[in-house]
Amino acid sequence: MTAIGAKPAAGATMDIPSTIAGIILLIVIVGATYFLVGPGMMFYALLGVIIGGLLISFGVHFVPVGGAPAAMGQAPGIATGVAMLAAGAGLAGLFGGAWAAEQGLAVAVITGAVGGGLMMAITCMFVTFIYVFGMGIPSASGKVAKDPITGDTQTEYKSQGTEGHGLPFVSYVGGVTGGILGGGGGTLIYIMLLDVYKEALPAMMKAQAAQVVPIAVSLAGIFAIGMFLVNAVLTAYNITGTIEGPHDPKFKRFPRALVASAVASALCGMVAILIVAM
Amino acid sequence: MTVKVEVVEGGIPHNTIMAAGLVASVIFVYLTYANVLTQTQLFSFFGGLAAVAAITWGSHTIKHLCSYGIGTGVPSAGMMAFGSGVIAMLFATKFGVASPIVAVVLAAVIGAVLGFLSNNVLNMRIPVMIQSLTEMAIVGALVLMGFAAMITGSFEFHALTSGSVSILGLSLPSYQASFIGGSLIAVVFMLGGIAVQHPFNACLGPNWTQDRMLTLAQECGFLSMITAAVMSMVFLSLSAALVSLVVAIVGWYYTYTKYIGLAKRDAAAWLDAKPIPELEGH
Repeated sequence: MTAIGAKPAAGATMDIPSTIAGIILLIVIVGATYFLVGPGMMFYALLGVIIGGLLISFGVHFVPVGGAPAAMGQAPGIATGVAMLAAGAGLAGLFGGAWAAEQGLAVAVITGAVGGGLMMAITCMFVTFIYVFGMGIPSASGKVAKDPITGDTQTEYKSQGTEGHGLPFVSYVGGVTGGILGGGGGTLIYIMLLDVYKEALPAMMKAQAAQVVPIAVSLAGIFAIGMFLVNAVLTAYNITGTIEGPHDPKFKRFPRALVASAVASALCGMVAILIVAM
Repeated sequence: MTVKVEVVEGGIPHNTIMAAGLVASVIFVYLTYANVLTQTQLFSFFGGLAAVAAITWGSHTIKHLCSYGIGTGVPSAGMMAFGSGVIAMLFATKFGVASPIVAVVLAAVIGAVLGFLSNNVLNMRIPVMIQSLTEMAIVGALVLMGFAAMITGSFEFHALTSGSVSILGLSLPSYQASFIGGSLIAVVFMLGGIAVQHPFNACLGPNWTQDRMLTLAQECGFLSMITAAVMSMVFLSLSAALVSLVVAIVGWYYTYTKYIGLAKRDAAAWLDAKPIPELEGH
């Protein structure tokens, strides 16, 4: 096996013993948190954080990323790494959601989802402009013969020696879907932690509720960004580099990413909650 | 299946850099505690040096990890480091004098779990994955704690969350004018995250040399330290902030000139480029 010919690819199968170990770890972390903080808002906040992490992880699988090959027009997708793109969509969503935090959980999460979706829609639109009008590249998928949504055939537009190029319609839809899920998930984590800190910080710091709001907002924000990046990078490791969108065969790998991000979110969420509970 | 496509030839072994970086960084963070013992703020600059030591170590860890084709880009490693490090660092600040030690231990636990998830649950099967992600989380936590200590003069939760504003000569306590309440931590997050991933991203390729990359890492660290020194003017006395600024500028100038020299050396040496070697391990 030559080093040059080998592609960096994780095994496509699920490792069942490790997956079970991961699920046991998840149960242990959730149980430990229940034991430490008891049933109440803080415990439900942890469950919210885990759901938010799962939404981020699932959403990142939809985002079409191509990295350097896409920049050279040899692969479909947006020419940057998964972590950068997911962070962009998530942070845009987080800003939207944080702005609407006062309006209640549902409104804030939906606003965050719209923010993330908008960011991805705008990114995908300009990427398509650049591919089509700047580089003269027609959009074609290398992974499927027909676009699953429009039914357009792909092969006659695909250049030889490439994996496809540009941003086919299904990838555009996938990107917006991913942005919506990621932005909503990030906002959910933020709102959950914000409620916990607003509740617990005044007693801990012996200050009035209004005084600690900047601390609560900043702590919840930085923890949400940290967890967003952890979940996005774990998912990036799962898809190893490029993915075209929901029609890509790599998309089927998402179950194991959900296990990984549930455990990671639970661990980070427990630490983030214990900072005020201990 | 993954294949190592680059080989560390010669140079300092990774474990030596790891040990030196960890010990130096923890000792430098603790030297900022001299502020409390001597009732001054002049020793805050040691926090910046702790961050530089951790960044240098972290850049080599990224090289160690990314020399296996992980296929996600080098910047993702830096983001992972700080995403997990910030959680450990903020929790550890509650433990007073023991904060740096707690930060290292907690970051190691979080990093090891993330490494297990990546390597086994996500089935990446990279031999150094668990060790590297553990190191990266510690690096992230130590860089954040170092810069926090440099900017505010302390690494304890109470000092990081309370500041003061002066109105008409009166000094009033304010949570908004603090390291965490003012979200300076977000700035430090990105300063450190970029500094730790940039050196390998800039130096990778067939003419990668260890000393050049490590010098670039130190230069990036001092460059971040200059920014942190400017931010510390809000919290520290002017003399303490100026000491930090001078240390940072001197360190940056020294490492920058050294880096330019090494870059010129390697530009001439590149002519002897060979195909990618097919060696196992290093």
